[in-house]
Amino acid sequence: MAAGKPERNNGRLCRSFDRVETGPMSSHPLRRTTARDGQTSTDGEPRTAVRLTDVTHEYGSSGRHDRTVTALRDVSIDVRMGEIVGLEGPSGSGKSTILHAVSGLLVPTEGMIELLDTDLTDRSDRERTRLRRRHVGIVFQRFHLLPSLSARANVALPLVQAGVSRSTRRERAESLLEQVGLGDRIGHLPGELSGGERQRVAIARALVTDPDVIVADEPTGELDTATGADVLELLTDVGRERAMVVASHDESTLAVADRVVTLRDGRVVDDGG
Amino acid sequence: MIAGLWRWGVRLRAVVGLALAQLRRTPGRTVLTILAVALAVLSVTLLASLGVGVVETGEDGLENAGRDIWVSGDPSDPVAGDTENPIVGSHGISAEMTERDDVSSASPIAIHDVYVTTEDGDPERTSAVGVHETHDEFGFEAGSGFETELNYSSDNYSVADRPTEPTEQEIVLEPETAETLDVSVGDTVTVGASRETVDDHEFTVVGIASYYSQFLGTNVETVPLTDLQAVAGTTGTDRATFITASVEDDADTDAVATQLDEEYAAYDVRPSDEQVGAMVEERPLVLASGATLIGLALIGGVVLTVNLFALVAYQQRDELAALRAIGLSRWVLAGTIGVQGLLIGLVGGLVGLAATPLLTAALNYVAVTVVGFESLLKTPVEIYLVGFALALVVGTVVAVLTGWRAGRYARLDRFEA
Repeated sequence: MAAGKPERNNGRLCRSFDRVETGPMSSHPLRRTTARDGQTSTDGEPRTAVRLTDVTHEYGSSGRHDRTVTALRDVSIDVRMGEIVGLEGPSGSGKSTILHAVSGLLVPTEGMIELLDTDLTDRSDRERTRLRRRHVGIVFQRFHLLPSLSARANVALPLVQAGVSRSTRRERAESLLEQVGLGDRIGHLPGELSGGERQRVAIARALVTDPDVIVADEPTGELDTATGADVLELLTDVGRERAMVVASHDESTLAVADRVVTLRDGRVVDDGG
Repeated sequence: MIAGLWRWGVRLRAVVGLALAQLRRTPGRTVLTILAVALAVLSVTLLASLGVGVVETGEDGLENAGRDIWVSGDPSDPVAGDTENPIVGSHGISAEMTERDDVSSASPIAIHDVYVTTEDGDPERTSAVGVHETHDEFGFEAGSGFETELNYSSDNYSVADRPTEPTEQEIVLEPETAETLDVSVGDTVTVGASRETVDDHEFTVVGIASYYSQFLGTNVETVPLTDLQAVAGTTGTDRATFITASVEDDADTDAVATQLDEEYAAYDVRPSDEQVGAMVEERPLVLASGATLIGLALIGGVVLTVNLFALVAYQQRDELAALRAIGLSRWVLAGTIGVQGLLIGLVGGLVGLAATPLLTAALNYVAVTVVGFESLLKTPVEIYLVGFALALVVGTVVAVLTGWRAGRYARLDRFEA
């Protein structure tokens, strides 16, 4: 472990786990009506939700490939609670790799990734999955809903792992679908929904565990301008009391961000600060 | 503890629901997968039953004869002369054996190449087995068999007393021979050791059966032993291929066989189970073919099943990656694919097993029609068990493993092409 690494605060995470997995769900998970425990630091500043410190990642460095591709070089980014951070840059600049790393789907070759003060890089695959499930909601460009399941079942899926009962899962999913404006589409299959409606279902799914961090990869990439604007409005609404990282090529999408980090060849060339 | 079990129960139920939803989503693909499993099961059951059938066909005749001890000669011994019938003085040896207290009966069996014809037909070259009587296992298609004195002249054995011409003049024809000659029960055929002598001896067809053909693999007619010896000209030397003996109920077969082996050192005396092994050893090709078929069946079935479920998981890789990304564990993913494997394996396995007897019967019909082998495919219950285990166990295990492996692919770069 690197010297000077901030001390992890497992106690705070554990309390947070209890709330998300077994405790009562906020009746308005789109917007949090009350400030959460730990959302502000002791000096009154918003708490840091995500911190990347000197992160370098090389694909193909696991020893199975002779050639490696450096996706990230010494990247350091902080995202505070309530902040929307945009990531911009050409294809291959490292945007998706950062989203990977923040979600715990990837362990960088060097550096540290902290999610709510917990270092993900020294956690097992299983622990990272658990942290992702409890604290990160992911919105994909291509929605990635299960075509065999209804909108409600898709939204409820992340709760399966937590062992939440079927009736509670349905209740939470229906409530979220109503809040994203799909109360009349609850039983529809993804194939019966428009692109904008599917992305709304995907956003509801990302919110069902009431996560602290939302990760969105080109959330409007598959949508027309008007539908994209609606989805952005919804995402902005969602991100007000959480931390959000949005990767996009699209100017209007990045316009909703509080600041935009610009990447070139895996390096931060402008941190938007 | 209870909360943990509750969570497991919730996940299990959800996993089954997910698996069913995935199967329902693509009914066409699901049906094809079930058929593929059924085919894998059939490839195992049919090939393996052919393998078992090939091996057993060589053994059946011996086992059905129900004899405890077999005496045979070494066909490669040049002193023996007639390589197919190396036992000389076979009636005498049989009579001596029968006199023992621990032997209830003994009788010789001879095999000769002969010619058979009708008054106005062409001579047919065939094989003839000489036995003292036919028995219930013959499965006569028409007519019945014959019965002669067990040990001709056994009381006062003398070569001079034995007839040099056929006396019984009864023959059981192989169905194909009967058809070729266009004869049926009650008709007369002539039998000789060569084309020249084929008209010498008249025999009455008393029955039609293919009993010995099954394990000798060729057309075989059955005649009384003394008549066959007379036709073949071996009455004087009283030659036979085997002598079979039954021991008394309270006698130890192995011990009697050992004593007889010492007493008749010129011949091999074996208990029947060893004789079966010895005969199969003499046919390494049959044994190798049977074993190869069974081996191929198992390997082929496993490879088919592994490929199939690897494909099932591969087709769902995007869904699995999405589930993984939203926080479902690899166990849940593996369970989703595993339950699909279990359900497909169960249904496909049952379809395969249900089709096995039908296809076995059809293939046996073809076999008996084309090559004359009856019941070439044998399906003992073990074959059904192996086929079902392949579908259910291999299917589920492979599905779980491929589902587990698929969890590793869960990367965001898999989502955004």
